[in-house]
Amino acid sequence: MEQQEKIILRNVNFWYGRNRILDKISMKIAGQTITAVMGPSGQGKTTFLGLFNRLWDDIPGAKADGHMEILLDNRPVTPIRKDIPTPMLRRKVGMIFQEPNPLPMSIAKNMAFPLKLAGIQDKSYREAKIKKALEQAFLWDEVKHRLHTSALDLSGGQKQRLCLARALVLEPEILLCDEPTSSLDAHAANVIEELLVQLKTRCTILMVSHNPDQVQRIADNVFELQNGRMNPSDIPSKHLPG
Amino acid sequence: MKTSGDAIAKAFFLSCAGISAVMTSAVFLFMIVLGLPLFRKGSFMDIWMGTWSPAEGVFGIGHMIAGTFWIAIPAVVLSLPLSLGTSFVIAGLGGPRLRETLISLVRFMTGIPTVIYGFLGIFLLVPLIREELGGPGMCVLAASMVLAVLITPTMVLFFSHSLMAVDPAHVQAARALGAGRIQRLLYVMLPEALGGMATGLVLALGRALGDTLIALMLAGNALGMPAGFLDPARTLTGHIALVQAADYDSLEFRSIFACGIALYLFTTASVIAVRFIERGKKEAA
Repeated sequence: MEQQEKIILRNVNFWYGRNRILDKISMKIAGQTITAVMGPSGQGKTTFLGLFNRLWDDIPGAKADGHMEILLDNRPVTPIRKDIPTPMLRRKVGMIFQEPNPLPMSIAKNMAFPLKLAGIQDKSYREAKIKKALEQAFLWDEVKHRLHTSALDLSGGQKQRLCLARALVLEPEILLCDEPTSSLDAHAANVIEELLVQLKTRCTILMVSHNPDQVQRIADNVFELQNGRMNPSDIPSKHLPG
Repeated sequence: MKTSGDAIAKAFFLSCAGISAVMTSAVFLFMIVLGLPLFRKGSFMDIWMGTWSPAEGVFGIGHMIAGTFWIAIPAVVLSLPLSLGTSFVIAGLGGPRLRETLISLVRFMTGIPTVIYGFLGIFLLVPLIREELGGPGMCVLAASMVLAVLITPTMVLFFSHSLMAVDPAHVQAARALGAGRIQRLLYVMLPEALGGMATGLVLALGRALGDTLIALMLAGNALGMPAGFLDPARTLTGHIALVQAADYDSLEFRSIFACGIALYLFTTASVIAVRFIERGKKEAA
């Protein structure tokens, strides 16, 4: 595997039963970049993101084939071949969704949840990690005095930042963002965009978006998924002249 | 704009609701009125707490109340792990085919007549208990075990329905954070489903308290306080069935209305408990 590449896909297909959703996807993604995938609804963009954390594992009839390598802990792994345990993969490949989905528990418990799943018991270590992740998500100052109140009482933008912080608490190397700002108002969306730009120094970000302006502002690479095929997009990324 | 048809429909439905409410209250009043001859004789508390000594003119149903709980509580305790395990498999641990098979099986179990369970208890369980554990065989344990099987479908359906009603976005969030099936079930689904599951538990207890046939066929119906699981016991429902089959106007007969009042109050308490649980669940949401 070429060291500068974080992700390499070659002829990757994805099937739901007999329906081919992704058709011979080939792409290379460098580390510490933001890659945006655009395209009409129902073309498999979310399915594409799910390849990286095997979110399709429990879906009956779902299967993937082809060559897919991602670099985790400087070691190439192939999620399609299941050469890494799913929980471990999902700790290294975090994900946030279109609708913020905090669990119906306190902010602190939401943040501690991934650490608990990872078997991290040390309380002071946990607290330090939680504080760091909330700071990274620009949320610490807003919630530090109400960590033990329900996460469901936060605003939409705060909820999404909490979900982002919850994904970051395990320090993932890849972050999957499935239309992370589509349910937010303009201000909250701008905060998330700013956050993602800052985060790419720590992790590689793959993002699904329907918003060309947003993609132009923050993405380093832009692809378009249509009829199962992935092609470089006509929409310029921020490094290219508009 | 309201039409005359709307007004007629509203009046009809209101009267239906009124009749239901009146009938429910009338049943309670009916039991008090018909039990009055017994309540007027002797101490009121002796009826509820006292022993059953017709020769001495004492018609206490305390032992029947105790017998009812002696059988119903262990039945719920026995059924609980069975129901939890089955509903966990249905709601998260099993595949779609296993889930469908189990749900069909559990629904089928709800349709099996109680007397069939009673027969199985008499011909299989009672001899086994008599030979392996001693005692008469027809006892608290036999009735509780069969009653546990009887109430399990109720609990499984409530439990699995509550678990499957958990917000899929929360389950998805847990999956994306690396939670395995059991972790999702224990840390996300179970806490969210607890309100609905508690409702199922209370209703199953209500069913166990109110069941007649299993206790009548398997509990031995002895008129004494059971001292252990291998002792026979008589439940309130069993007492009603036995006395009304043999008598119709004595004070002994009137005791069945005291039993009815006790059962009515237990059922009311169950319903109130369910309402409290549901209210707590709504407030938590």
